[in-house]
Amino acid sequence: MIDVRNAVVEYGQGPQAVRAVDSVSLEIARGESVALIGPSGCGKTSLLFAMAGLHDLTDGRIEIDDSPLDGPRKEIALILQNAGLLPWKTVLQNANLSLLLHKIYPQKTADAVLEDLGLGSVKQRFPAELSEGMKRRVGIARALSTEPTVMLMDEPLASLDTLTKERVQDLFLELWIQHQFSLVLVTHDIEEAAFLGQKIVVLTERPAQIKMVVDNPEMGALAYRGTDAFMAVVSQLRKALEE
Amino acid sequence: MLNRTVIWHIARYVISIGVLLLIWWAVSAIVEAVKDRAFLPNPVQALREMWRLGPTLFRNFWVSAWRLVLAISIAFTLGYPLGLLIGQERRLDQAISPMIYIIYPIPQVAFILPLFLIFGLGDPVKVAIVASALFFQLLVSARGAAKLIEFEHITSVRSAGASWWQIYRHVVLPATLPSILTSLRVSVGLGMAFLFIAETTGSFDPYRGGLGSFIDSNIYAPKQAFAGIMAMALLGLALYIVIDVIERIVCRWKFVRRKSS
Repeated sequence: MIDVRNAVVEYGQGPQAVRAVDSVSLEIARGESVALIGPSGCGKTSLLFAMAGLHDLTDGRIEIDDSPLDGPRKEIALILQNAGLLPWKTVLQNANLSLLLHKIYPQKTADAVLEDLGLGSVKQRFPAELSEGMKRRVGIARALSTEPTVMLMDEPLASLDTLTKERVQDLFLELWIQHQFSLVLVTHDIEEAAFLGQKIVVLTERPAQIKMVVDNPEMGALAYRGTDAFMAVVSQLRKALEE
Repeated sequence: MLNRTVIWHIARYVISIGVLLLIWWAVSAIVEAVKDRAFLPNPVQALREMWRLGPTLFRNFWVSAWRLVLAISIAFTLGYPLGLLIGQERRLDQAISPMIYIIYPIPQVAFILPLFLIFGLGDPVKVAIVASALFFQLLVSARGAAKLIEFEHITSVRSAGASWWQIYRHVVLPATLPSILTSLRVSVGLGMAFLFIAETTGSFDPYRGGLGSFIDSNIYAPKQAFAGIMAMALLGLALYIVIDVIERIVCRWKFVRRKSS
């Protein structure tokens, strides 16, 4: 379980300090999916990076499975906006990177995950040779390679065309159901939040505070997109963001 | 087996050399027509002279080559890592950058006399002159390249638990290699110029040798001097080719066929 208590993130010190996240408290159960949505620059990525152990909190605390978070951990995977692939490493080297850095041997998992995601034939290629959709899948393969219990995603599908975006969203959903990790998705896409979030947390303008939490119990099926329940959640979120 | 890209690459060099020789020939003919004397030997005369002076020229070529390669290696070994550290570590940047800004704009030739005083005569001072000129060039380039590394690449490995050294090993070093190799190409030209100065400065130096010294001592014999100049051009070309090959090997990812979005 992820337990965020009164989290405050500030950049800089003294009178010039800028507060990005202001007293956010959040509980995410094991296997639950939560979407964080809010205006651009509101501080949602800062909150996510704090949950990844990349930012120290100015105040408050974050616990993962009852132990205080004090840095990146192998059970927490982070997928970044452009998949975070290193252009100088091949697909296989990119997928293996988390295993290598966490010193997890033998590195067979990434190979298997690449095969599962249909990337077996491009293992020796470089990211520049792949389509945007494939790059995202390599990013997913890297994240899954350490078999994480927490999957954090920072606008992972921004800049993709609609059809590719929906295909990768479907893949996220299938993987979440299959691997049962806790999923925290930062997005500014209302439909993405409604499709992937069991719980959707609407954040305020900077500094981010929780404005509203929308429950979305009917999500979890590929056919959910376009249903009346889905459209109702989308409309509720739009209203919340416009207020 | 040679592929088409390599053959085309070689062909481009051959064509360029051919065009240069033609231009040289034309300029030599014009100078001779205007001045009524062959002040500028044509390429055939220079090549014939190169052949005639073979062993002497070859000896001087190797003296210059190892001095230049040693100087580039020293400047690279010191300047590249230090530049990366300054570019990545904010406190180090704040502490050292002002010193660089003060020293870098000073023409490096101003340091020649102090270097002679420190190193005396002989090879060490020649290598030191070239290395000190290239050191700042490579340091400033490496610093700039390290500052331009995409935040996402660093975040990507940090989130996977990378240590300080692993961030350098997996991101900072490979991300900056293309820029530093470009800077190394610029350094070859700059290094040749400083090597020429170093090899021609101090006529009292008994350890002269090298192509600069050869050209200097044949300054009133244009054919011999141009044979030396051609040997210098060959040395530069050889180093450019070596850097190109290194780049093809260590930056393989830069030369792949990119998928259009």
